[in-house]
Amino acid sequence: MIKIVDLQKRFGSLRVLNGITNEIKYGEVVCVIGPSGSGKSTFLRCLNLLEIPDGGQIYFDGVEITDWKKIDLNQIRAEMGMVFQRFNLFPHMNVVENICLAPMKVRKCTREEAEARAYDLLQKVGLKDKALAYPETLSGGQQQRVAIARALAMQPKVMLFDEPTSALDPEMINEVLDVMKALAKDGLTMVVVTHEMGFAREVADRVLFMDDGLIVEENTPEELFNAPQNERTKLFLSKIL
Amino acid sequence: MGYTWDLSVVVRFLPVLLEGAALTIQLTCIAVGMGILIGTFVGIGRVSRNKLIFMLSSIYVNFIRGTPMLVQLYLVYFGLPAYFGTIPPRMAAIITLSVNSGAYVAEIVRAGIQSIDRGQLEAARSLGMTYSQAMRYILIPQTFKRIIPPLGNEFIAMLKDSSIVSVIALEELVRKGSMLTGRTFRAFEIWTAVALLFLFMTLPITQLVNYTERRLKKND
Repeated sequence: MIKIVDLQKRFGSLRVLNGITNEIKYGEVVCVIGPSGSGKSTFLRCLNLLEIPDGGQIYFDGVEITDWKKIDLNQIRAEMGMVFQRFNLFPHMNVVENICLAPMKVRKCTREEAEARAYDLLQKVGLKDKALAYPETLSGGQQQRVAIARALAMQPKVMLFDEPTSALDPEMINEVLDVMKALAKDGLTMVVVTHEMGFAREVADRVLFMDDGLIVEENTPEELFNAPQNERTKLFLSKIL
Repeated sequence: MGYTWDLSVVVRFLPVLLEGAALTIQLTCIAVGMGILIGTFVGIGRVSRNKLIFMLSSIYVNFIRGTPMLVQLYLVYFGLPAYFGTIPPRMAAIITLSVNSGAYVAEIVRAGIQSIDRGQLEAARSLGMTYSQAMRYILIPQTFKRIIPPLGNEFIAMLKDSSIVSVIALEELVRKGSMLTGRTFRAFEIWTAVALLFLFMTLPITQLVNYTERRLKKND
């Protein structure tokens, strides 16, 4: 579904991605782990072109999206949901409005359709009673679940998660991870940048270990966590497990 | 030292001064109203990635902010007639004040947009919204709330600076003041009254600005 070939990205003189090649298949849950500054988030943000890569290609369902001047980028982004570390809910709108805005403006849904789906999704993330609340009144975990519902409302083909639990207090991490596990179980294609190794081990079909802007090692979670091959993977895992 | 105050002139001519104050308020409201309209578009232009739009709006803002308003007024009132025929003073005043206010409001709007967390734009774009949709539904509504206090300050500044149109014989508060001084020779009394009238107009707005600032801070 997403094919990445020799992806490169620089910020000024800093080389963040040094040629990443990989392929994400339909229905797959891929977790991306690695030390801070290894380029995981940049890699994820390149997938929906929030960062414009400096080299290499990304194909989404066979279409080269890195040729972004020739395609309708907004159409592509609408097919890729994204969840951010810091939620980024729209503070001037309540929960339902947050969820309904993009379906109505981008997909041209009617308000009725959009709201019906919004309530379904809120049910799914366990926040139906917060439909009319404003983001500032919600806890971090609740905000992140709303953010997930907002992304799902576009019925994306793939969901990108950028450290979705890193800004949360510990007691709220599980409520978000549980929602994500349910999505994975439903067969949604997911790419998750995370520090939650337990989640990666339990849910991922495949784990990518990144360091210095490269995918150093990739494998099933069992293999990668139990028998890492690369020295850098071993060092990283020994520090955090 | 032996000056004796004669407040009776102030009492007698207060209606005249108030008439002037009314015109001052009227001009200020029109100017800032138009300024907000112009400034919103130009302010959006100042954060545009379209080079032409950015350049045009920057030229406008820099020209207005970099030249005296008096010169701008002369340009409009004495200069433009070369092309458009005589412009009535009132029209010239409204054009000058509005165009001037627009540039300052544009900078307020630009700063407001840029103060919104980057994540807001990213979230909107990640949902497939276009840049203009993100502007319209996400950034601008949040900006408006934040720029209420600086807009209040702009209103106060314009209330005072509008006195410049007295030089083209528009009878706002300052012009009335100098006319009355010429008539009564009571400069001290008249100008004190004029100053106080300005203060009465600006103080409530200052209070309002402070109040909204406090409330907005609480909400953040």
